[in-house]
Amino acid sequence: MNRRRGRWSSVVLYAVLTVFGLLFLIPFVWILSTSLKGNEQIFTIPPEWIPSRFRWENYAEVFRRMPVLLYLKNSVIVTVLQMIGIVGSSSLVAYAFAILRWPGRNMLFGVLLATMMLPMQVTMIPVFVLFKQFGWLDTFKPLVVPAFLGGGAFNIFLLRQFFLGIPREIADAARIDGCSEFRIYWNIMIPLAKPALATVAIMTFMFSWNDFLGPLIYLSEKEKSTLALGLSMFVGQQTNEWALLMASSLLMLIPMIAIFFFFQKYIIQGFTMTGIKG
Amino acid sequence: MLGFVFASPWIIGFLVFGLYPMVMSFYFSMCRYDVLRIPQFIGLGNYDTLLLRDPYFWTAVGNTLYYTFVRTPLCIAGSLFLAILINRATTGARIYRTVFFLPSIITGVVVSVLWLWLLNPQYGLINSTLQLIGIEGPLWLQSPEWSKPSLVLMSLWSIGGGRMIVFLAALQSVPPHLYEVVELDGGGAWQKFRHVTLPMISPVLFLWVVLEVIFSLQVFTEAYVMTKGGPLNSTLFYNLYLYYKAFDDFDMGYASALAWLLLLFSVLVTFVQFRLGKRWVYYEADPRG
Amino acid sequence: MVFTNDDVGVKRLLLWIAAVSSIAAAFLLLMPDGMTRETPADGRVHLRYWTIIGMKEIIPYFATSFSTVQDRIVVDTTPIPWQEHEKKILTSIVSGNPPDVVNQITPVPKWAARRALVPLDDYIRRDRLDTTMFFPSLWEEMRYRNKIYGIPVYSGSYALFYNRALFRQAGLDPDRPPQSWEEIFALNRRLVRRNERGQILTMGFIPNYGNVQTFMLMAWQRGAQFLAPDGMHVQVADSTVVGALQWIERFYSEYRQQDVAAFLGGMGFADQHGFIAGKVAMMILDSSFPDQIRLYKPSLDYGVAMVPTFPGLPSASVSGSWWLGIPRGAKHPDEAWEFIKHAVSKESQLLEIERTEESLFPANRYAAEDPRFMNTPAREIFVRMMDFSHSPSVVPLAHDVFWREITGAQERVIHGLQTPAVALQQAQKQIQAILDEAQDYDNFVQMHADNP
Repeated sequence: MNRRRGRWSSVVLYAVLTVFGLLFLIPFVWILSTSLKGNEQIFTIPPEWIPSRFRWENYAEVFRRMPVLLYLKNSVIVTVLQMIGIVGSSSLVAYAFAILRWPGRNMLFGVLLATMMLPMQVTMIPVFVLFKQFGWLDTFKPLVVPAFLGGGAFNIFLLRQFFLGIPREIADAARIDGCSEFRIYWNIMIPLAKPALATVAIMTFMFSWNDFLGPLIYLSEKEKSTLALGLSMFVGQQTNEWALLMASSLLMLIPMIAIFFFFQKYIIQGFTMTGIKG
Repeated sequence: MLGFVFASPWIIGFLVFGLYPMVMSFYFSMCRYDVLRIPQFIGLGNYDTLLLRDPYFWTAVGNTLYYTFVRTPLCIAGSLFLAILINRATTGARIYRTVFFLPSIITGVVVSVLWLWLLNPQYGLINSTLQLIGIEGPLWLQSPEWSKPSLVLMSLWSIGGGRMIVFLAALQSVPPHLYEVVELDGGGAWQKFRHVTLPMISPVLFLWVVLEVIFSLQVFTEAYVMTKGGPLNSTLFYNLYLYYKAFDDFDMGYASALAWLLLLFSVLVTFVQFRLGKRWVYYEADPRG
Repeated sequence: MVFTNDDVGVKRLLLWIAAVSSIAAAFLLLMPDGMTRETPADGRVHLRYWTIIGMKEIIPYFATSFSTVQDRIVVDTTPIPWQEHEKKILTSIVSGNPPDVVNQITPVPKWAARRALVPLDDYIRRDRLDTTMFFPSLWEEMRYRNKIYGIPVYSGSYALFYNRALFRQAGLDPDRPPQSWEEIFALNRRLVRRNERGQILTMGFIPNYGNVQTFMLMAWQRGAQFLAPDGMHVQVADSTVVGALQWIERFYSEYRQQDVAAFLGGMGFADQHGFIAGKVAMMILDSSFPDQIRLYKPSLDYGVAMVPTFPGLPSASVSGSWWLGIPRGAKHPDEAWEFIKHAVSKESQLLEIERTEESLFPANRYAAEDPRFMNTPAREIFVRMMDFSHSPSVVPLAHDVFWREITGAQERVIHGLQTPAVALQQAQKQIQAILDEAQDYDNFVQMHADNP
């Protein structure tokens, strides 16, 4: 390839990336700026991107109004357990649906997909009644236990598609060598599926961390509240406490950005690290 | 039989947590039922009313199909495009990836407040920018013609980055030596994309076409928070109508009937997709085994 | 790498699953179990009180002050977020373990009709509670089929706000607020300002801007009965309602819908609110609005007056009450009643209003008429307006459908798609269909459930 052309195309590439980047940065900047404003500065026209006075005390106010550390602990417990449960169980189930041959597989896969298509609004009450019968209300169990049991159709489907993208010869070769299915799953497929597993982990984290409805209906004691639920207290019927809402939202964003930063390397290194073995 | 063992977590989970609610909601779909009192069995009465006498049902169906068919291709093309761009970047890729990912982690009320502000017809950032280049921007959410496109735009922007990650993972899994083969044959960028990238990522592409359709058919939050279905019911989506029935009117029976019709339609669409998928999806491991 | 055979693999797999599930089980056992929660053994009754966060202070003053008047009952307040609070209350009743008292704003009949609340008539009779202390319209809101299911605590009252500065600019008398809709129409012509491109810059009055639907007020003023006295027949397409909606139609025949919509598009929150920003000269707003003005634009020169009406007809307003109720299945209904009585006493209400940053309007008229509350001319108007107030709970068994249909009908008229009569006939048909269904279901439940 012509070197000059290469340089030009990379200039165009970075220009496009930067334009998109700025576009995608707007919300973050807006949240940051709003979180540092007083109520009277928030909706001024034209918008003040940099507040005339930084009200750092908004953050102190968030800490004063809700027990951030306690809620953080609860959020971390729920989220981490969900991540362990979902990544573990969904990869196992996805392996069964993608690689193994067994009677009723296709039918059950259809059922699995169908569970995703029924709006949760109508299953919510029966599910709630079920957890009530188990005596699980006001515990984290309704939020955590289902994660260990399959981890949801979405994640299983996602991992199944990734497993199907891995050349069959790899598994077959191992089988000829007398390798057990569990070994193939654990020692060959899991390392190969690292990018997909990282994707599932990130998405699970995002969902679980932001989940508001689950904690709302299952947890009634203030001490068990999660951050997402606590944050909703700044949202009123008509008037919201904008600055506090934004400050607490920003606090919630930070762990997500950190998690993403950490897991994205698994997404990127995916093939180059493990592909050689294939 | 080993398959059952591997799939057992989900099978147990489904039998314990999934089956009962599904069966119950199906039963309720044939009842009058407001959650707090006993259900009254009325056979197919709800379905009858829905299909023959409820004008909002068809409005909601129309709006939802519009949203689904406009959003799905745009979302997939857009996020794949972003993923391809970022896959080629070498320096600063980590930063770009994180920035692209940012909008997808912001959820709930914050997003809707932000967008109400961006889409404000007079002072919003979007119309102000359009004005700079001499275009009179539309009324966006306040206009029956633009309300759905507004919500599509908002959804693309806020989930594009998240979807990009998935495509990026898929792109990274394409063995580099396949590209070298095309290069040796004198193929350019388009050939590489057409003959290597596309088939290699087709399982993931297929996954997202299927999922995006299922998700779009269930679109709810944006309309619930921002437009309440208006103006003139132009954003009355299927699930929003279902929500109004279930939790404003406490008509869980009717809502369940709506839900089961949606399930039926989604199953149908997904079945067709799987059939069509056999023509264009390339699996390294043949799922038929 | 050494590979084992399949049998060993299965054993390993089972071991692995066992290991994971025991770790999971351990986690779960470590988690505190909610159902074993005991009330502290201090010999007192702990009352679980849920309050919806629509108010800034999480724990209302009357909940803390209750312990100063007695020491048998302790109130444990739990704030419930505004978002999805109906789901939270619904599931708590379904769970059989609801709070003892709940503070709510959604209409009482909506919950009472579904038997979600304990009727309070026996308590009221036993304690000879003076029910005339509540504003009549608020008290009516608490009723469903001749039983009382809630006690009103706070409300909002509506009145006409007008911008005196804009009146002066337009050469109008700032001390003469409009009293009739005809005057509003005439004033609007003098107050509207457009730029050279024809875009609206200021407006006198917009019937569909704000929380109150002007045409509903007009319909009430014209004597509309939305539901026939038998409670079975919807009368939404009645001439009284059609006449009200025709006023809206007339307004929009003079001002293009697109122009008004573009103008409204520029409105926002806080200081971007049309009235505070000085863009809309007259608006029907609620009793918390003076505080909003004080916060965002203290210099605004405005007046508050009675809601305009038609010549010779009484004014009308709408109220929506925050109320306290006892959910079905509550563990301590007697103590809950004691707490409710405390919360709505004149003294509790006045103390709460004096202490809170919120703008509350007492449901207790003795509190409202007390000089400690009625200390501004605006508040005087708000208290007077309460006598003209109507309950928003018009068709209890089809409440949300009613409001959705009414709003839809108005929207179709504004967009010029239908005439008022046609739009309201369509709405009537829909509401009637839902009401018939609801009635049928109600009869079924009456027959098949053991009715207490």
